[in-house]
Amino acid sequence: MKTVKILGSGCANCRKLEAVAREAATAAGVAADFVKVTDMKAIMAYDLLSTPGLVIDDKLVSSGRIPTQAEIRQWLSA
Amino acid sequence: MDTFLHLINGGAGNLAAYLAAHVLLCLLPAFFIAGAMAALIPKASITRWLGRNTSYRVSYPAAAAAGSLLAVCSCTIVPLFAGIYKKGAGLGPAVTFLFFAPAGNVLALAYTGSILGAEFAFARFLLCLLFGIGIGLLMAMLFWRDDARHDAQTDALFAEQARIGTAATGVLLSLVAVLIAGTLKVSPLSATVASVTLPLPGAEAWQATLFDWVPFDAAKGEEGVSVQGSLLIGLLLLIGGAAWKGLENIVEGANRWTWATLGLAAATLLVAAARLTPQADGLDVAITGRVLAVAAALWAVLHQARRLAADAWQAWLWESWRFVKQIFVLLVVGVFVVGVVRQLIQPAWIQDLAGTNSLLANAVAVVFGVFMYFPTLVEVPVARMFLDLGMHRGPLLAYLMADPELSLQSILMVAAVIGRRKTAAYVSLVAVFSVTAGLLYGAWVDGVNPVWIAAGLLAFLGVLAALLAVLLRRRSSPAPA
Repeated sequence: MKTVKILGSGCANCRKLEAVAREAATAAGVAADFVKVTDMKAIMAYDLLSTPGLVIDDKLVSSGRIPTQAEIRQWLSA
Repeated sequence: MDTFLHLINGGAGNLAAYLAAHVLLCLLPAFFIAGAMAALIPKASITRWLGRNTSYRVSYPAAAAAGSLLAVCSCTIVPLFAGIYKKGAGLGPAVTFLFFAPAGNVLALAYTGSILGAEFAFARFLLCLLFGIGIGLLMAMLFWRDDARHDAQTDALFAEQARIGTAATGVLLSLVAVLIAGTLKVSPLSATVASVTLPLPGAEAWQATLFDWVPFDAAKGEEGVSVQGSLLIGLLLLIGGAAWKGLENIVEGANRWTWATLGLAAATLLVAAARLTPQADGLDVAITGRVLAVAAALWAVLHQARRLAADAWQAWLWESWRFVKQIFVLLVVGVFVVGVVRQLIQPAWIQDLAGTNSLLANAVAVVFGVFMYFPTLVEVPVARMFLDLGMHRGPLLAYLMADPELSLQSILMVAAVIGRRKTAAYVSLVAVFSVTAGLLYGAWVDGVNPVWIAAGLLAFLGVLAALLAVLLRRRSSPAPA
């Protein structure tokens, strides 16, 4: 079971990132728990300079952009 | 009932006139530029100057550059602000960044320029830059002890280095060329190179119908919709439809709708650059110098964009589309509401309150800016309304400086990051600086001798420099226990 966190205050990019990540998890057949982090202080605990951020198992894998499905599948299976 | 219809008509007319006359040649390229900045400029190329050990001579200008180049929406503004404050160069540069971002980004500049005039956009840019750095320095001085207390955290967040690629630079420069070719008001661009008459006998009747639908009164600053305008509104709707299918999933690759969207956008810019005049026997199409210049610039954009990697140009198109979805809808609603409200306000009220460049008028403008909250960029059409109703340009600038900086949203956000005490100081400083900026620009508009204005500005900067010297001396002496 992987934990996937979406960091962002609810802007368009965060919603898009969540959709892409969910699709990637389904496509890769990985069971994942999705958590949305909207609190600014919790977000700033990670080292990022712009949202949306994607955290997989407490490791920040991307920030400030929307990765492709293929990239997320790779991170999920790593 | 009549009043109600009159109000709706005012709103719709205002909206149609805006879409037709102002939006295209400035906002369409500006959205693409904003998207390119968000997607193609690596943040590290600027944030590496915002680390903890950077000299203030570098970090303040870098903070302003970050505000101008990186920050178009709150997705970037909030985390970057918090990052600079907590893990980087400190409170001062963070505040400079926060203050400058709403006024210095390309969307705000292009939009202000096209609606309120280039001189006004320049004044807004320059004064926000100077005063943004000033407020940053003052905040750093007021709260120097908090900054000194920051322990020696690593600034790994700001250590990464990156450069902007040549293709990305090429795309950005050619997009700026499109924007300039589309909006600059000089003779080679507005001159007619060739003209043809299309045999469209209904054109004149259509124009009469349009003026019937959207009655206009030049004396009140209202604009009608021309035949060209109606054509452009149609094209805009088509772009919106095609973009929904072509850009929504652009991250996974382009499809036919993507190319249709881009083709329509280019066609819209070219139509907007031409001059269409309805005649008795058809439609006169004047090919202006602007058409040629815009076409050349568009070709340059295409040429440069082909050198971008696939994920780079896909990210660029996504970011541009996202800005359109996020900002344009609010702008459309805002412009409509402004059109309705304008019918209700008596010009005499505005002229009495803020018709001259007095201290009171500037203060009233700032207070209004603080208590009213408008979504991104809507403050600009609101400002235009006030200008048309007789507001002096000085207080207008004061309002435009205070409104986006001090919206309720931004105050709450700042308070969450730096605490209430610092936020209160920030809010009062912005109010004082906005009034000062309004007075200075108003004096310039009133034709006061530029020497006096320069002297005033220099005195202001001198005070700032003196304060900075005090700050540095305090910093170098050990903090009292």
